[in-house]
This record gives sequence, structure tokens and C-alpha cells, in this order.
Amino acid sequence: MAENIYDAIVIGSGISGGWAAKELCEKGLKTIMLERGKNIEHIKDYTEANKEAWDHPHRGERTQQMVKDYPVLKRDYPLNERNLDWWASDKDSPYTEVKRFDWFRGYHVGGRSLMWGRQSYRWSDLYFEENAKDGIAVDWPVRYKDIEPWYTYVEKFAGVSGSAEGLPELPDSHFLPAMEMNCVEKEVAARVKEHYKNTRKIIIGRCAHATVPLNDRQCQFRDKCWFGCPYGGYFSTQSATLPAAMKTGNLTLRPWSIVTKILYDKDSKKATGVEVLDAETMKTYEYKAKIIFLNASTLNSAWILMNSATDIWPDGLGSSSGELGHNLMDHHLGVGAQGIVEGFEDKYVFGRRANGVYIPRYRNFFGDKRDYLRGFGYQGGGSREGWSREIPELAIGGGFKDALTEPGQWVFGMGGFGEILPYHENKVTLDKTKKDKWGLNVLAFDCELKDNEKKMRKDMLNDAKEMLEAAGLKNVQAGEGDGTPGRGIHEMGTARMGHDPKTSVLNKWNQVWDAPNVFVTDGSFMTSAACQNPSLTYMAFTARAADYAVSELKKQNL
Amino acid sequence: MERRELLKMIALATGGALIGGELFFSGCKSAGGAVTFTPETIAFLDEVAETIIPATSTPGAKAAQVGEFMKVYVTDCYDADDQKVFLEGVNKLNDACNKMHGHDFMKAPAEHRKALLTALDKEAKAVQDQRSKAYSEYEKAERAKGSNLPIMDFKNPVAPHYFTLMKQLTLLGFFTSKTGATETLRHIQVPGKYDGALPYKKGDKAWADSI
Repeated sequence: MAENIYDAIVIGSGISGGWAAKELCEKGLKTIMLERGKNIEHIKDYTEANKEAWDHPHRGERTQQMVKDYPVLKRDYPLNERNLDWWASDKDSPYTEVKRFDWFRGYHVGGRSLMWGRQSYRWSDLYFEENAKDGIAVDWPVRYKDIEPWYTYVEKFAGVSGSAEGLPELPDSHFLPAMEMNCVEKEVAARVKEHYKNTRKIIIGRCAHATVPLNDRQCQFRDKCWFGCPYGGYFSTQSATLPAAMKTGNLTLRPWSIVTKILYDKDSKKATGVEVLDAETMKTYEYKAKIIFLNASTLNSAWILMNSATDIWPDGLGSSSGELGHNLMDHHLGVGAQGIVEGFEDKYVFGRRANGVYIPRYRNFFGDKRDYLRGFGYQGGGSREGWSREIPELAIGGGFKDALTEPGQWVFGMGGFGEILPYHENKVTLDKTKKDKWGLNVLAFDCELKDNEKKMRKDMLNDAKEMLEAAGLKNVQAGEGDGTPGRGIHEMGTARMGHDPKTSVLNKWNQVWDAPNVFVTDGSFMTSAACQNPSLTYMAFTARAADYAVSELKKQNL
Repeated sequence: MERRELLKMIALATGGALIGGELFFSGCKSAGGAVTFTPETIAFLDEVAETIIPATSTPGAKAAQVGEFMKVYVTDCYDADDQKVFLEGVNKLNDACNKMHGHDFMKAPAEHRKALLTALDKEAKAVQDQRSKAYSEYEKAERAKGSNLPIMDFKNPVAPHYFTLMKQLTLLGFFTSKTGATETLRHIQVPGKYDGALPYKKGDKAWADSI
């Protein structure tokens, strides 16, 4: 058993788990990172990274067999021929949908840090203060001044490219050079700025790409990010935090390790370690440590807590508040517009920029008042149409081919990312009637959009159309698509932080109120969702919590 | 642009009718069964594809082995309904050629083939319009119910025209082939930089984009 004792255990190896491991190892703690799935080694295991569509019999598209095997994944773009084995198997890991919830998971070393969208935005106090101001849920126990230095800290290492704009609602990061807006995006941005007298802005997307060399990493503008980048062009566990943690000599990485529970000692009122089910051998192991970082992703972290210390709390560790598994949030999307931009026929682009433009939230800010709370941002971009466009006057033949050989007209489109409020009744629970491949109970989802989100979607649709028309675009078409929760792949909130153990699962340092040596720093800690992509905020809170944990450990408070 | 948003955008702009977009709807239909593509059928499809995308100053669909690609794609990716439409379409196309020109498609000279497929394209577009209309009605009804518009549950009551399927697979098969992407279009594996205002003059080729 001696070899199973560490200073720290990190459960999960995605964006936040990777950060926890790096920080704890660099502070000298012997750390084990437990990952439920297989290992994926940086570069070596990026088998798709240098392949092209023609290397695949179905050119990357889905087959009927895949549709059959992946009843959830088929609901959106992740079901594809090329990185399919980076998405969790719906057959092995089913779940129950009391209401439909699209859950897209990455069960392997690196988790979804390999496939993420890489958009990275700070929060401001306009977001941190909003729950208190609106009387919604509970107040965040943290303000911008608490987290600001940690944003800077993680940005310096992760690398976030973007433009300094000085916006109060969306504070500037410590930026690497911004990617360039193309000529059409610049024009649309200028027209929107003028029409709305600078109350609505189109800025270049802020993304975790190394636009200049950063620790030997650099973006090559290939836009093949989600196959893994052999150039380390974007931030992932593999490209950034894992090698840093490994370099210390303090990290042990154990793949195929499903944490089934956190072990809790009721006398000391602390966790003592974890129980691990080896996913390959089905053998059970115990690992002991002084501190535990829970980073298994929002839903699975809730699942682990629900299965822990049930002899004391039947609904699990952290359930004493009645909030564990509740307040599930995502961002609702699938609403937007696009139109044609005339002119610029003598311009094109070079390179494949894996980034777009961003319109920060403007609703219910700065005196604007709507019939719903909170707001949305848009992501979008301009491009010239490709070969899949219609050529109305030409059906077939050499002329048709020649026409498709050239780029088409410029189009500009954008889609909204809307905030979902933290509703106590949007929740996950354990379904004890259904088991996964390993004989473990699965989660049941009961989560839906409510009136506030539905009202917001109307604005998302109308504003997109109005803005593009105001910018002089032609043939503007707006559309509302599928807004089912989960499709944002930004699950949050199932173990929220707060001021009061009676109404929250975690305190302001991400510590479980009922077990102060357990820190939960993935999306589950989020007290509200805001509308911007959340991963950068997880990074900052993780680094802050790790710093606090080690200082408390040194003071022998843990 | 972020990949997922781009895909959503296309689906949004075309009502889900992008090439291969039919697959969004395949969830509730029966999976495809065993289908037979004889060498003759593949040769026939090569000729159809070559009429749609002929060799010009660059190789055409036949050189990209689009007939063989159609076989693989229809066999593995189509559901049973679409497979039936596609395979019956082979005979229907030939019958239509006999009706219009008095001989089989394989014996038809290039001008006859062009005239036939031009007419079929018109026919197929009319069917696509009906399908778009059916989708719009579904969307309207769903929205009236206040649903999240789960388009994956939608089966279009109007079957696609076989020529739409053949043309879609010709374009997909050709432009994602090595010759299509690198000789007809342009492709650079590692651009290394981004220029958002590259000078362009008429005749410059389009990029094969993310493939």
C-alpha cells in the first residue's frame, strides 16, 4: 500500500485537472492524476493531425453504424469519422434523460481540452455581482479583484491571443498578439460600431492559440485543432500543463482509473483518499492523500460526490446544503443570422484561422433593460463561399466546375451564446436502476430552458438580423435551431460556491464545506453561467485554489 | 471560425439542407442494408459524375474515382430509404435518357448526356423546394409548440430526387478528393500565417478550406 500514498490526488485530466496537477507539482507536492480513460500522448497519438479528407473512405462523415452506436453523439457535429475515439462511447456510458440533455464527453487523458473551442474570455464584476443584484440563486463569494491576478497568471502560461479593447464588461487579458480580422469583418465591425454609436462592438475572438512562439508552441493556421496539434498551437493538457507537471518529477499519471468515491473520515471531517476502479482490470484500489482536487467535469464531479460519504450524508459528500447536482447550467445556442456582403471581390484570405469574431454582451448592461434577465454574446465571422454553394444559372458541366473552382461571394454570419440562469430544479440525480459498462449507477438529467431563456432567444434572433441589416448586408436570413441544454458543451453549476454552507456546496476557495481538503475546480463550482466561454475562468480558479491549498497545507490547516 | 459554429451556421442558413446534411435527420430511420453495386453500376456513376464535373484543364470526377466513392458512401452512410432512391435512380436516369434521346446513357454522346442531366437538375431542384417547404412547416409547427426544434427527429415526408443525391455525392466526392482539392482547388497543408485581405483576381482558385 505504501506506493499508493501521495501528497495530492487530482481526479480528471482535462483543462482544470491539468492545471491542478501542474500547480500542485510545481509547488513540490507528490501528485497522482487519475484519468478514467485511455492515455493520449502529445503528437505521437494525434493520428489524424496530418491526414486529409481523402484519406478517409467517407471523407470524415458519419456512417449508419456510427449513428447506431452513438445515440447521443449523433445529435450534433461530434459524430464524425475522424476523431470518433476521442468522444465517450454512448453504449459504454449511458445516462438517463428525464428531459433531453445532449452530453458530449471526452473520456481520455486531456479530456475535452483536446477538442475544445479555445475561446477564452475573462469575467468582470458585471457578471460576478449579477446574482446578488437580481436576487437570483446565491451571490458569488468572489469578485473580480480576487480572481484578476489569477487570470493574468494562467494567461501568461496558456497563451490567449486577442485585442486590448478596454471594455468594462469584458476585461482585457494578458494578450498574445491578436489574430487578424479579415477585410469583410473589419468593414462589418466599422458599420455596426457607427450604427450603434459604439454600444455594440465586433472584436476579434480571444482564443488560446500561441500566435507567437510560446514555450516552443506556435499556431500554424491549419484549423485542424480538434485532431490534436503537432505544433502545440493551442492550449491543451497535452501541449501545456501536462509536460510542465511532468518536468517537476512529482507527477504520476494513471489512465484507466475510474474514481468511484472519495474516502471520508468522519472523525477528522476530512477526505483521506479515493477509491479507484481500474477500467481495464475491474480491480479496486485505494489512493491516499492530504488534499484532493476534483476535476472530473461538471456532471461527473457531482456523480463522484454523490457516491461519497453516503453513510453520513445519504445524498453524498457536499449534499448537506441540498444543492449538490442542482443548478445545472449550459449556454443555449443555435440562434443567429447571416447575410451577403457586397464588394471585396478583389479580396480573399490566406491561411485557415481557427477563430472568428466576437460581439460581447450588451443586453441588460449600461442602462439597457429587457423583459428577461442577463444576456448573450455572439460568435461569428466572414468568409467567401466555397464549392458547396449553389450556382443558380449553371447545373452541370465544365462551366459549372469552373464557377465552383473560384470562391463565391462574401458572407458574414453570427450565432448567439445565451446565459442560462441557475435554477434549483435543473438537476442531475443518481439513477440506481441503470448501470454503465462497469456496473456503476448512471446520472439522470432533468434540465430545461425556461421562460427567461426563451424570451432571450427572441432577442438573439431579432438582434442578429437587425444588426446585419443595419450593417448593410443583403439577403439577411435569421434562424432558430436546436436549443436543447448540453449542446453548448459548457456544463456548469452542480456544486456551486457561495458564502453559506446551507445554500452552497463549496466555499470561496472551492473547498467542499463538509470536507475542506477537497477542492472542486471544474465547471461545477460556477454560481452563475454568464454568457462567455467558461474554460479560462476554470483555469484561473484552479490555479488560485491550488495556491490556497498548498499554503493551508503548509500552515497545517488541512 | 470555430468549427462547431461554422457548421451550425451552414445548417442555419440552409435549413439543414447542406451536402450530407440529410444525415442530421437519419436518427429515426432504419439503417441501411446490403446493397449491390456492380462494376457496371460504378462505371455508369463515373459517367454521370464526369458529366456533372468533367475533366477540363484539370482532372474531372472520373479521375477522382467518384463512382467508387458513391458506392462506399451510399452503402455505409445512407439509410435504407435513401439507398433505395439512389439505386432505383440508376435505372430511372437511364430510362429518362431513352425517353429523351432514344438510347442508353452509356451510349449517349456528351451533348445528350448534358441535356439530360440539365433537365434532371431542374426536376430535382423542384423536389428540393418541396422538401424545404415541408421542413419550414415542421419548424413552424414545432415553434408553435414551444419546442427546442430537435431537427434530429425530423423525417422529411418528401423523398429526395435521385439526381440530388448523385449530384451531392459527386461534389462531395470530387472536391474532397486529392485531385479535386489540390489540382482543381488549392490546398496548403501548413499555411503558417493568416492574411485577411489577400489580393484576389478573377480566375484565382478557391482554397479547399478545412479538409
